[in-house]
Amino acid sequence: MVKRFFLAGMVMLVVAALALSGCPRAPARPAQDLVIAMGVEPESLDPIRMSSSPAATVSRHVTETLIYLDVDGSLRPSLAESWEASADNLVWTLRLRRGVEFHDGTPFDAEAAKFNLERFLDPTKRAPFRFLIDRIVRVEAADPHTLRLHLNAPFAPLPSHLSHAFIGMVSPASVRALAADAVVEAPVGTGPFIFDEWARGERIVLRRNPDYWGDAPTIDTVTFRFVPEDASRLVMLETGEAHAIMRVPPKDVPRLQGDAEIQVVKENSVRVIYIGFNTQVPPFNDRRVRQALNHAIDKQAIVDTILAGAGSVSTAPVVPAVFGYHTVGPYPYDPARARQLLAEAGIPRGFKATLHHPTGRYMMDVTIVEAIQGMLREVGVEVELVTMEWAAYLAFLRVPPADAKHQMFMLGWGCVTLDADYGIFPLLHSSQWPPAGWGVSYFKNDLADALMDQARTTPDRAQRQTLYRDALAVIWEAAPWIFLHNEVQINAVRANVQGLIHHPLENIFAWNARIE
Amino acid sequence: MKRLLLAIPVLFGVSVLVFAMIRLIPGCPAVAMAGVHADAQFIEQVRRDLGLDRSLPAQYGMFLGDLLRGELGRSTFSGRPVLRELAERFPRTGELTLASMGVATAVGVAAGIVSSTRRNSPVDNLGMVVALVGVAMPVFWLGLMLQLLFSVQLGWFPATGRGTLTHLVLPALTLGAASAGIVARMTRSSMLEVLRQDFIVTARSKGLAERVVVYRHALKNAMIPVVTIVGLQVGTLLGGAVLTETVFAWPGLGRLLVGAILARDYPVIQGGVLLLTVTFVAVNLAVDLLYVHLDPRIRYVSRGGES
Repeated sequence: MVKRFFLAGMVMLVVAALALSGCPRAPARPAQDLVIAMGVEPESLDPIRMSSSPAATVSRHVTETLIYLDVDGSLRPSLAESWEASADNLVWTLRLRRGVEFHDGTPFDAEAAKFNLERFLDPTKRAPFRFLIDRIVRVEAADPHTLRLHLNAPFAPLPSHLSHAFIGMVSPASVRALAADAVVEAPVGTGPFIFDEWARGERIVLRRNPDYWGDAPTIDTVTFRFVPEDASRLVMLETGEAHAIMRVPPKDVPRLQGDAEIQVVKENSVRVIYIGFNTQVPPFNDRRVRQALNHAIDKQAIVDTILAGAGSVSTAPVVPAVFGYHTVGPYPYDPARARQLLAEAGIPRGFKATLHHPTGRYMMDVTIVEAIQGMLREVGVEVELVTMEWAAYLAFLRVPPADAKHQMFMLGWGCVTLDADYGIFPLLHSSQWPPAGWGVSYFKNDLADALMDQARTTPDRAQRQTLYRDALAVIWEAAPWIFLHNEVQINAVRANVQGLIHHPLENIFAWNARIE
Repeated sequence: MKRLLLAIPVLFGVSVLVFAMIRLIPGCPAVAMAGVHADAQFIEQVRRDLGLDRSLPAQYGMFLGDLLRGELGRSTFSGRPVLRELAERFPRTGELTLASMGVATAVGVAAGIVSSTRRNSPVDNLGMVVALVGVAMPVFWLGLMLQLLFSVQLGWFPATGRGTLTHLVLPALTLGAASAGIVARMTRSSMLEVLRQDFIVTARSKGLAERVVVYRHALKNAMIPVVTIVGLQVGTLLGGAVLTETVFAWPGLGRLLVGAILARDYPVIQGGVLLLTVTFVAVNLAVDLLYVHLDPRIRYVSRGGES
């Protein structure tokens, strides 16, 4: 009997719980609690651990950088109000914003900036993106609001690199309070939002910073939810569990566009997708062969049909948003020209080759290489596709030329600093062959090398533009890759949410957002 | 006691396997971490940090030594202690596994009893077809279908996340469906077997009510193979949790492990797989002990030649 009452009680409890949680509330003004669903959880929010764009997205709301890289690619003052290089280009002086405080009340000043930069540069801390600013040999707090950075070689892209989200400023007091080997889990920054909670595997909650030095946000909280399955994020947006979702698969765009409550946002990404050649092995050591294969691919068809318009055909080795970009392409789709070039190279009947590629890493990657396989067959080139898991793939590619087993490979590169230096130097400068860098095409072109060297040491921005125009033209002509397309990121937002910033670095920012 | 001791070589074997397996997969943790942006210096440092520059036996020695001291190391990805990562995630997966085991046992045993007492009736046939469908349906697909029906169309349950009981309903149903089917089929055949035996005939001839015969006499005896299956299903459920957690954004161990494997986060993979193994071994040990309760004839004593 007692048992039966207990059971009945349990049932009632469950029913009550179900009823309560299903009960809709009707507030006078919509709650300003914004929910954004993303596929990947940040690995960390500590500047010395971060390595992904989801981490950058969340971190930027809390932790600010000295310089801000705007959506249009321009550099804007953030915690630094101005910056300039010395005559010999070896010292950069930054004037810092006054009257800024971290969320714990610690003042932000030159000492705090120095503390953060030195921590990021400390080799024993193993910051994955340390290379961004590793030319800094000394950080000097000249006075409370002046920071001097001493370099070991002139490095013109420095301001762009300092804008990277991973070089964020956290309260020195909060870091000193940690155990020696602990990492920052609850960052204390200067940003428009204050870190509130991180339920691992689930969500990160940030709340409005009413004392923000700029315009404080309107919304009360922003919650990032981590939902790996694409279809589940879609469902969340449709049910209203999320106000915005990131990385919508192109095939689902029509389904969302049919919903009046939902707005689909396409924003250029900074990532170019290409098929690299191992330029050291025949037949790819012949420029004519490489150009022929560029002519053999119908890039527009890939963008239109496979990507459903979510991309644009490459017109340079970097995307148009990048500083230094110039239109130097595309190679027109022309199979006849391709056959002619192959004949000139002495292989009129074509050849066989392997094409290694990752799966699920880039938008529609497998479908794209399959299409390329078909198009190359048209000009007599028979490629065998080899699929590899991402981490294994990277290890396979990144070997010195003597150990290389790759002939053709699919890769993407996000120029995360929006400065052409990072878009081409690590991939195409001959000093960057593995193990040093990612020059896995083993490309060597003396003219291109000289132009890239000059462009990274000349501080004058107009001069740099010209140097990159020439460098991009030389690279394009030499065709170390099949230049494919620039990716477009697709986000979707509920119609009652305004003011979200969709950044080309694959971030969504919520500080200007409001819910109506 | 003897059974407990038997678990030790099992765990040792698992530690060797886990260690060897993740080092056989190509791919370097440093490159997996910083991706295409990793520079040579960073890769070299991470390799040294992880001891990957030493010989394999030396690496295993280090791993085992740490393990015996209860030290699981730090995640190479997040930089946090592995023990903390696991402690946060494991209860979540436990919650989900228990709930789906509840679903599987309750639904499965009930369906099995009904089917066996109405053998070859339409109810029996329908029940067994449904059970077969439950077993055959891919977890992933079932999860998405339940979301579309109950979250998008009906709006009864939230599609993702964790928190209230309502969040648990869809993931538990999804994960438990296959096991429920297996349990139902096992219960049915086991019950049919028992119902044919002499003591049931005796019980019936004594004039006992059919309910008493079925529930008091038959069911208890039919439960032994069912309990075994439920115990073994725990392994399946823990494994299946990976997919369910992905579909429903459930913050469990499965998702942590998938992420760790993609990032070649050796310490987390090692710790996580060991934890899952220990759980599986422990559950099956508990099942063995449960037999004693169900059937007093089974007894674990160490007497000469018998155990």
